[in-house]
Amino acid sequence: MDKKFNFAGEKDYLKYLSHEKVISDEIINHSRSMISIINRDYIYEKVNATFCNAHHSHLEVIVGKSLVDIWGKEVFENEIKKNIDLCFSGKTIRYEACFKTPKLGIRYFDVIFRPLSIESGEITHLLVETFDINELKRSEQAVFEKEEELRKFETNLPIGYLRCDPNGKILLVNKAMLRIMECHDETSMVNVNLKCFYQEEGLFDMQMDQLIDNNTKSFGRVSLTNLKGKEIPCRISGFLAPGRKGKPSFIDFAVEDSTRELMLENRLLQSQKLQTIGALAGGIAHDFNNILATILGYSDMLLDDLPKGSALAKKVSKIKGAVIKANSITSQILTFSRQVEQEKIQVRVSEVLKETIGFVKSALPYNISIKSHISKKDTTVLADPTQLFRVFLNLMTNAIQSMEERGGILAVNMAVFDGKFIQHELNKDIVADEYVLLTFKDSGKGMDPSLIGRIFEPFFTTREVGKGTGLGLSVIHGIVTEMEGEILISSLPDKGSVFYIYLPVSKVYPEFNGNPEKKKKIIFITGNKYESRILSLALKNTGYELIYVSDRRNLIRVLGCISDCPELIIYMSDSKQIQPEDLVSIFKNLKIKIPCILITDTNQELLEEKILNSGIVKQQLIKPVSLKEIRNAIQISLK
Amino acid sequence: MSGILLVEDDKDLREMLKASLIRRKYKVIEAENGKDAISHFKPLITDIIITDLIMPDEDGLKVIIKLKELKPTLKIIAISGGGKAGPGSYLNLAKALGADAIFSKPFSVIDLISKIEQLLLTEQPV
Repeated sequence: MDKKFNFAGEKDYLKYLSHEKVISDEIINHSRSMISIINRDYIYEKVNATFCNAHHSHLEVIVGKSLVDIWGKEVFENEIKKNIDLCFSGKTIRYEACFKTPKLGIRYFDVIFRPLSIESGEITHLLVETFDINELKRSEQAVFEKEEELRKFETNLPIGYLRCDPNGKILLVNKAMLRIMECHDETSMVNVNLKCFYQEEGLFDMQMDQLIDNNTKSFGRVSLTNLKGKEIPCRISGFLAPGRKGKPSFIDFAVEDSTRELMLENRLLQSQKLQTIGALAGGIAHDFNNILATILGYSDMLLDDLPKGSALAKKVSKIKGAVIKANSITSQILTFSRQVEQEKIQVRVSEVLKETIGFVKSALPYNISIKSHISKKDTTVLADPTQLFRVFLNLMTNAIQSMEERGGILAVNMAVFDGKFIQHELNKDIVADEYVLLTFKDSGKGMDPSLIGRIFEPFFTTREVGKGTGLGLSVIHGIVTEMEGEILISSLPDKGSVFYIYLPVSKVYPEFNGNPEKKKKIIFITGNKYESRILSLALKNTGYELIYVSDRRNLIRVLGCISDCPELIIYMSDSKQIQPEDLVSIFKNLKIKIPCILITDTNQELLEEKILNSGIVKQQLIKPVSLKEIRNAIQISLK
Repeated sequence: MSGILLVEDDKDLREMLKASLIRRKYKVIEAENGKDAISHFKPLITDIIITDLIMPDEDGLKVIIKLKELKPTLKIIAISGGGKAGPGSYLNLAKALGADAIFSKPFSVIDLISKIEQLLLTEQPV
């Protein structure tokens, strides 16, 4: 090529043109490159048709014009001039140029400057060949963008992805794969054989053989060991990319972490199992209660027949005692199988929790401490407060027992979460907009993860035989399930256990949540602190405020201090500190008239008479009383 | 003398209850299921009915509804040992349907009898 254009001079050049004018004009004009010849004054002396077309102009217009006219001063000075000058010194210049022209905008060109010399060797002209590579550039850019997109997709893919060579050596891993393997950067995985992460020996080779036969294959669940030594259940699929001569060039693997899936599957299995056991045990407990009722009835009859205090009567009493013990077991089983009636009311979870913590703290071993964090955002749940108390008490007692030897900390937390979050956590339909999550975390003995699945089964216990019935946790499970809540556990041997209780938050209706200033005050007199707690919880959201009094001095103080008189007094006849005559005399001395509800055991006729005659008692209830009965009595008394 | 209709499918328990009630000089008519109870019900000589809730052949709730229709002044005591089928809300249901008292098995016969006495006392002549 160079030879052909190596013209000897103006004369020869013209001569050459005359020789092959037609052919060369054709070639030059139909070249896809813009071809021009410029002189030392930077003037276009000749241009081809492509050049004219690219500039949307005509031959006559361009020829004779300077480069400054065509490209603009800026482009000429900055981009073109230095290369032209260099070319005039004898060098062929080829470069990729990006011109911003006023006429054409940003355009990319492949530019070649070739010096044209006359015989003496003097360079008089330059042959400029400019090829518009805009299209090429654009497609290059598009390919680059596509590649980038693909890489982004691959790295951000929620599924683990890795590419191996046919021997299993890892070539590529994405972010999700690194996450699954708990690995910070890819260097600890790339160039390692995938085989090393398989738990089961020989499995990988077997899968590779299957892949070669099938090209694509899902292997189902495979256990991988991640970089921290943890076993990760994964779903793995392989895709084989065929290479030359039938040998695979590389293999792509999709790896899904199925830890959660496996956990949910197990959870479902366990709850189904518990349901079956519950139905079975509940049925047995029901039949047992019939038998126990018969034994109890005949025992009563015998006691009736036998002289009181006789040796035989004592033996019958023992039978009766055994029946009562047996009944405590059957009733626990019935609670577990959710066949016991719970009197559900609006209960403030934080209050029951605080009560329970207080209760537990009073008898805490010296080497154990309780740390509690209770969310300020308080909520109510629909629950039987006694049962809820039982749940908390049982979990805390268990935790303390597991830490008895070595001591430790029991951390109790209460927080409120959005239902949607909980739905994901539990993977089941939610029944409320919000949930309370209670966690009880101990640093005790913990248990083997394999036992966790059985922990809620009745009569299953990790303690020695004879210590506890093994019903506690199954009862809790029954109570929580009845509340449409969920109880979960995680545990590690020697590290401790965590129990999670999710309870659906119930909406409190405004009439229950009235102005606290206007709450009606009720004085509750009892010697049994436990009962007062339960009753106070039961009444907390009903517009009544309960003031608990256990002795005379307090009663007088409370009656004297309260600016607005209490509306009602509930007197439980078990309060030894305040005898009925005390109550009557206090009333007389303070000259107050407040209706009173009397709660007595049976066979306390003497006591009843004393107080009934005083005329202050509006209603009388006989134990055992249900919360509902108390609430009804309160409503009637206050009318 | 007050008459009591005793409906209970467990034979041992029924016999025990019958024996205890007879000792207190009550007249007892037995039925081993709800169907018998309804067909053998004698309104004139029955003041109280003690009925189990879960029984084969018409359960206790049906008995309560049916007999209350036949004799509105009838006193009803429901006894149950926890529902076999689902959550045991039977006792509450019984109460809602008009049972005057409910007892969970096993219960003390002494308590049962004092309840019977109380119910008979409060009976208002129509």
